[in-house]
Amino acid sequence: MSQERTRLLDPHFVSKLARLDLKARLVVEGFLTGLHRSPYHGFSVEFAEHRQYMPGDPLRHLDWKVLAKSDRKYLKQYEEETNLRSSLLIDTSASMGYGSRGLTKLDYARQLAAALAYLMLTQNDAVGMFAFASGRGEQIPARSTMGHLRPLLLLLERLTPGGGTDFAASLHSLAERLTRRGLVVILSDLLDDPDRIAQAIHHFRHRKHEVLVFHILDPLEVSFDFEREAVYVDLESGERITTRPQELRGDYRERVREWRERMRQFCVEKRADYVPLTTDQPYDRALLEYLSKRARLL
Amino acid sequence: MPTLSFLNPAFLWALPAAALPILIHLLSRRRIPEIPFPTTQFLRALEPREIRRLRLREILLLILRTLALLIFVLAFARPTVTPRGAVTHAAAAVGILLDDSESMAALDDHARPRVEGAIARALAIVDAARAGDELYLARATRPGEAETGRARDRVRLKRTLQGIEAQPLPARLEGSLRPLRLALQRSALKERELYVVSDLQRAGVTPEARHEIAEAARNGIRVILLPVTEGRTPNHAILAVDPIIRPGPEGRGLEMRVRLANDADGPSDRLALRVRRGDALVGGGDAALRAGETRWVSMPLETGAVAGTEIPVIVESDVDALPTDDRWYAVLGAPRHLRVLRIAEPRSGEPPPRYAELALDPGGKGTSGFVVETTGPGALLGLNRTRADVVLLDDVASLSADAESRLKRYVHEGGGLVVALGPHSDPDYYTRGLFPGIIDLTLAQPERAAEGSSFELRARLPGHPVLEGLAVGVGSPLSQARLSGVMRGRATSPRAEVVVQTTGGLPLVVAAPSVAVFLSSLADDWGELPYSGAFVPLVRGLVAYAARAPAGAAGTEPRVGERPFARLDAAPSGAVIARGPGGYTSPAAMENEGMGFRAVSDAPAAQAGFYTFEAGGRRLATVAVNPDPVESDLDVVPADSLAADPPGPTGARILAIPTRAALETRLSDTRRGRELWLPFLLVAASVLIAEILLGSSRILAR
Repeated sequence: MSQERTRLLDPHFVSKLARLDLKARLVVEGFLTGLHRSPYHGFSVEFAEHRQYMPGDPLRHLDWKVLAKSDRKYLKQYEEETNLRSSLLIDTSASMGYGSRGLTKLDYARQLAAALAYLMLTQNDAVGMFAFASGRGEQIPARSTMGHLRPLLLLLERLTPGGGTDFAASLHSLAERLTRRGLVVILSDLLDDPDRIAQAIHHFRHRKHEVLVFHILDPLEVSFDFEREAVYVDLESGERITTRPQELRGDYRERVREWRERMRQFCVEKRADYVPLTTDQPYDRALLEYLSKRARLL
Repeated sequence: MPTLSFLNPAFLWALPAAALPILIHLLSRRRIPEIPFPTTQFLRALEPREIRRLRLREILLLILRTLALLIFVLAFARPTVTPRGAVTHAAAAVGILLDDSESMAALDDHARPRVEGAIARALAIVDAARAGDELYLARATRPGEAETGRARDRVRLKRTLQGIEAQPLPARLEGSLRPLRLALQRSALKERELYVVSDLQRAGVTPEARHEIAEAARNGIRVILLPVTEGRTPNHAILAVDPIIRPGPEGRGLEMRVRLANDADGPSDRLALRVRRGDALVGGGDAALRAGETRWVSMPLETGAVAGTEIPVIVESDVDALPTDDRWYAVLGAPRHLRVLRIAEPRSGEPPPRYAELALDPGGKGTSGFVVETTGPGALLGLNRTRADVVLLDDVASLSADAESRLKRYVHEGGGLVVALGPHSDPDYYTRGLFPGIIDLTLAQPERAAEGSSFELRARLPGHPVLEGLAVGVGSPLSQARLSGVMRGRATSPRAEVVVQTTGGLPLVVAAPSVAVFLSSLADDWGELPYSGAFVPLVRGLVAYAARAPAGAAGTEPRVGERPFARLDAAPSGAVIARGPGGYTSPAAMENEGMGFRAVSDAPAAQAGFYTFEAGGRRLATVAVNPDPVESDLDVVPADSLAADPPGPTGARILAIPTRAALETRLSDTRRGRELWLPFLLVAASVLIAEILLGSSRILAR
């Protein structure tokens, strides 16, 4: 079972599945199967009924008033109702189209977004989606019905990488448009000016949004494990640089590490969560981060 | 200024290959793959700093690779640098004097004749010659033939060189150097070199040869001495054989005498000597000689095996460094006594004292090997060799002009002369009359010992044949006898050897070829010598020496390289033909010698052996022809001593190149230039190593 779960969380395995809804379901179920203590069971604000306390139930839901009156232990149960509006922001810039092992960053982001959406909807959270790149963007407003999954997945299916990323500007624009506070999940390679990105995150935080940043990079983008001298063409700007990887690798890695660290620092400063990911990492980490975040929020 | 040239210039066509790294670099740049990448912002940040480093490294690598290939190709083209003074770029007249004399047959450390090493050097010189060079070859045994040896055809010259062998002839360096020098001087080419390939044997390097070498240098010819050996090589030699068979000790049996030399700085091993007549061993013996000693050695002969009047025998000793002087051909005469014609004058009507006569033939029967006839000076007028082997002048005052003339002629024809002086002898006459032309000795007035003192006889040359019967060492007294007077004398040339002298250094016995002079009295006029034990062996030694000296003396017996000759008592009827070894056949001419005839062959003898003279199918005489043993002493003149001779203000330097390897290096340097392929390869390898190190290390990479 554990082996099966591992496979279901493997991005490369999942990418071979045909349907995105299936991918999302398998990923989530594979993920949930492995959780020891699930934060999945929700507790909302609308009271529904009492249930007799059973050993092992959390005491924080114990109805102290009933206990005081009748000396019986009852738990309060609530009507499940979402109060979390999540927005999935997916970067579709040209740089997201890069994938060194058959799986592009956009593929990874797409599958992760689908799994998140599925997970969110199963928890009755409202999920909206924004896909953006420089000069173009699509959005689906947040809904909490399970039927909302389909348009979300259709949007994800349609996404193709292209165009440059004026990432910060897009974030600012979205921050303006998202009036109700909620959870903003960003799936991007963050290839833009770090200061402007920081400002954009700050913008979300200013509007009382919680922010979860999935920083998605290709492994080769991090390691720069190229062998031969080559002309490296920037997918967004078209800039060409001829260089020998072996000569620059050390410095390159150091620079990427510094960059990621800087992004993490920005997020920490803005009280946003920063999750660095590479496309060869299983999805469970991302999902767990999400659930942790959600648990903290509720 | 040194100049650079190439021996394999065809390889220079490969020089464009040095551009391969550049081409590969350019081509590889054109084929650099394009890799789409999410962002180049990090690379861009690194590039400005890295690109300079990388470009510098790339350029350095490119330079190193190009340089390595360039040097590699150049190395294959065999670069040479021509030092100043070399003759690389100009045709040169090159003279080679090859010593093929007898001493060049001496074996080197590898048991090969020295001449082989000399030929190898000469071949190297010829190989180094270039088109346009003039090559002249002369051989040390063929003086005057340098012009005929001239050859522009290298192949023919090499073939000539390869056919050269050491000849049983002495070197005539001066005679070969002169025409070679003149030929080089006449050459229109400005560059002239004279190579002397020789063992530079002391006997061959005469003052005249030194002069020729210095003269060549003075005339701008670069003289290069190529000694094929150094130092003295120990060698023993047979110098002569006494052709007269003598009665053995105490009149029993027969014996012959061989003159041996030990030309070494140490004593010889015991030498075994064998005497063969054809294949039959007819005698032999052994001898051990001290360092540098030369002496006669007696050997017994089998009586029956040497019967006859002309007995051809071959004397052989153990073979050592120089094989050619370890064999000697001799024609022995029949056993006979030495005939001594003693000339003495009556004194005041009294017959002259007979001490000398009694010492030679005490019984008057010739059993001692000597037959003595005493007569007056008038008998000299009819003197010839058929009458006497030795003339003994016993205190004769002077001779008439006719008698003197006849006596000198007798000596020149091979007769022996012993002059014993005394109180009656006229020193002026001997100094001015008899001695000139036969012995380099001048006399002064007699010196008498002071009252109470006397002259003692001391041996100066203990191994000399005169002292053969006396066991004496250097400076040891010959006898207890004392002399009261001696004739003052002085040897005026090295050819006159002082064999015995007084304690004070006055000469007592002086010897020259065929002539021995005793500068005191053989009677009791000047002391008691006749009564001493040394008297008889001394007198016999004097006479035997004078009789034997012609054997081996120059001109008295034919040598290899000379025309063989034979003395005949009567003129033969019909043409005389000389026959010898190796198919030698030559007509011979007859010469009248006054007291006989001499048949002289027209062609020189090419090798040692027996030569017979025939007329009308009848054998007239057999003579032995041997090499001149002058080169038996394998001592050499250091080449540096010749090279040190100053060439004069306009002359070229005289170089001495001791080894063949050094010669080849010099030839390569001067004729082809100094080859630099090895340094080039080393530099190319170093550059490649530097390239690999730079390419694999992080130098300039970080």
